Amino acid sequence: MSKDQPAPLPGQSDKIVQVENLSKKYGDNIAVNGISFTLNKGEVFAFLGPNGAGKTTTVEILECLRNPTGGQAKVLGYDVSKRSDQAEIRKRIGVLPQDFNAIDRLTVRENINYFGAMFKHQLDADKLIELVDLKDKRDEQFKKLSGGLKQRVGLAVSLVNDPDVVFLDEPTTGLDPRARRDVWGVVERLRSQGKTVFLTTHYMDEAEYLADIVSIIDHGQIIASGTPDQLIDTHGGKKTLIIRDAGQEGLKQLPQGLPKAELRNAGDIAISLNNGELTSILMSLGQTPLHDKEIEVRRPTLDDVFLNLTGRRVSEEGN
Amino acid sequence: MRSRIYTIISGHFKSWYRSKSNIFWTIAFPLLLIVLFGAIFGNGSTKFDLYLQNQDLTGNVPTPLSQGYVNVLNQTGAFNLHIVAAEQPDPLTYVKKDAQDHNQGQRLLVIPLGFNATIMSGKNATVQLYMDQSDQASASLAGIVHSVTVSYAAAIANVPDHLVVQQVGIVTRNIRYIDFFIPGVIGMTLLTTGVFGAVNTNGRYRELKIIKKLATTPLSKMEWILGMVGYQMILATISLIVILFFGYAIFGVTATIDIYTVGLVVAAALLFPGIGMVLANFVKEAESADAAANAITFPMMFLAGTFWPRDTLPYIMKTIANFMPLTYINDGLRDALIYAEPAQALTNTLIALGLAAFFIVLGSILMNWKEE
Repeated sequence: MSKDQPAPLPGQSDKIVQVENLSKKYGDNIAVNGISFTLNKGEVFAFLGPNGAGKTTTVEILECLRNPTGGQAKVLGYDVSKRSDQAEIRKRIGVLPQDFNAIDRLTVRENINYFGAMFKHQLDADKLIELVDLKDKRDEQFKKLSGGLKQRVGLAVSLVNDPDVVFLDEPTTGLDPRARRDVWGVVERLRSQGKTVFLTTHYMDEAEYLADIVSIIDHGQIIASGTPDQLIDTHGGKKTLIIRDAGQEGLKQLPQGLPKAELRNAGDIAISLNNGELTSILMSLGQTPLHDKEIEVRRPTLDDVFLNLTGRRVSEEGN
Repeated sequence: MRSRIYTIISGHFKSWYRSKSNIFWTIAFPLLLIVLFGAIFGNGSTKFDLYLQNQDLTGNVPTPLSQGYVNVLNQTGAFNLHIVAAEQPDPLTYVKKDAQDHNQGQRLLVIPLGFNATIMSGKNATVQLYMDQSDQASASLAGIVHSVTVSYAAAIANVPDHLVVQQVGIVTRNIRYIDFFIPGVIGMTLLTTGVFGAVNTNGRYRELKIIKKLATTPLSKMEWILGMVGYQMILATISLIVILFFGYAIFGVTATIDIYTVGLVVAAALLFPGIGMVLANFVKEAESADAAANAITFPMMFLAGTFWPRDTLPYIMKTIANFMPLTYINDGLRDALIYAEPAQALTNTLIALGLAAFFIVLGSILMNWKEE
């Protein structure tokens, strides 16, 4: 920013979240270790990492639930460490805490109105119910809903004040695949409405599918940031050509001079591809008995990115 | 904009009345206890309590005729005689207090000094029977005393008129067990709904991340606590009204609701949730907090004079009871609702309010609104 330009007033900048050298210690344990990132207006930002990496601590600092030990964090231009600014932040953010449950014996609608009443202005509960696709359940008590539907109530509750930024802390942890997809659907709708979303997750596919920008955090430090494509291109490694069900026999039938091939998953042959090699390899395979086998090219995923950066994979449970 | 505090009160209240177990513990269980205890102890003994002071002594020994009169009264089997020492200067006040403490009828028969000598000289002797005319048992009791007296006079001097029972009206509340019990049940209900209510809302809501969610909104910790206390006040008022109505309808217990009753309800609505908040902060897991709440409320319920008078407890237990907040709520409610003792009600109300202020402030300070 040039010296002549006035600094934007809090709440007016396009930089929704600005974090610089942020750290948080619990005794001797360093949960967050000097991280920096920026979240711009309208972006879906994924904070990706295993359990205990520092995701929730960071997001809770941004939600003014915890005080940082060092560095600076601003949300909508307001400083999370200043008491007077915290009040302004709370008015303008939407939060879905990890493992959140609404009030058991209130209905979906009553829960939305309950949390809505904490704010000066609240969105119409019925519109939110429509957004999260819970029209049929609006008068059902929360405790009677399935896990996926409960999470959708949580999403509606996090949007009740029409926030400038929504923080979703592990919104799909513990949900079945279908319920996860439903939650993704809601986040996609938010993106199409131009909402800014800060998402934490340990699911690589979730970050890849939903996020415009991904920051990978491990042991309290950000180890890579960028769009999912950028991360994959930079850290994902090579594409792989897969020949389905070729078996040992197939290995012998491969033309000479191919890059190293290996047998995987009971019979699939995997060949690591360098850039520009695909066409020539396909042509040479056409000359062999393997030409009628099912062939696919597998692109690296964020899983591979994480593996290449840390030397380990994150389990389904996030460990 | 709807008030945040109102929203919290209404949220708690809806959660309360939609739960069958909540309704059971807050309303049905106390009523059940009243019926059970009322049926078992409600009518008390079939004998009449009668305090007796024999002032007609020679040295320290009752005169023969006065002792004979006491023996005859005793032999009827109609009375539980409680002897008041002759040197007791104000037997009426003594009887009122002792009867209240031991949940006995307030009736006193005084054999005056000179009883023996008067009869021997052939003159009419008079005994005084102090009793409340509104006491349901008064007519039958007076009848028995009168006939015993006439037949005794006839037996000793063959002149039935020589012995006269002079009835003296006193105003008492003749306290039955059920009159004693009902304020205790109210106190017990306020205790359990307050402590468990706070443990639930501050322990379980924390586990469910509801408090974490609320802490990210403009709601302040103070508003949250006020909402909880407001809800407890409504619940306490409902308990009070339902239990008193039930006590009146089934057992004819008449109670006076006065400013002290209001003060005590306010105190209870601050005090017991305050204790619950302190517990919820020391015992983080909702289930353990529930167990801790049980561990606190049960002994308090038994020692603080909910089911029986504290005077019947061993000394050490009585001393412990003095440190239990419920003691002052129970005593205050009895003084205000049943005994009509404004001075004692005021003392107990003030102690309860003091304890309430202490615990609600302590609970509020200890409660983590933000994360640590």
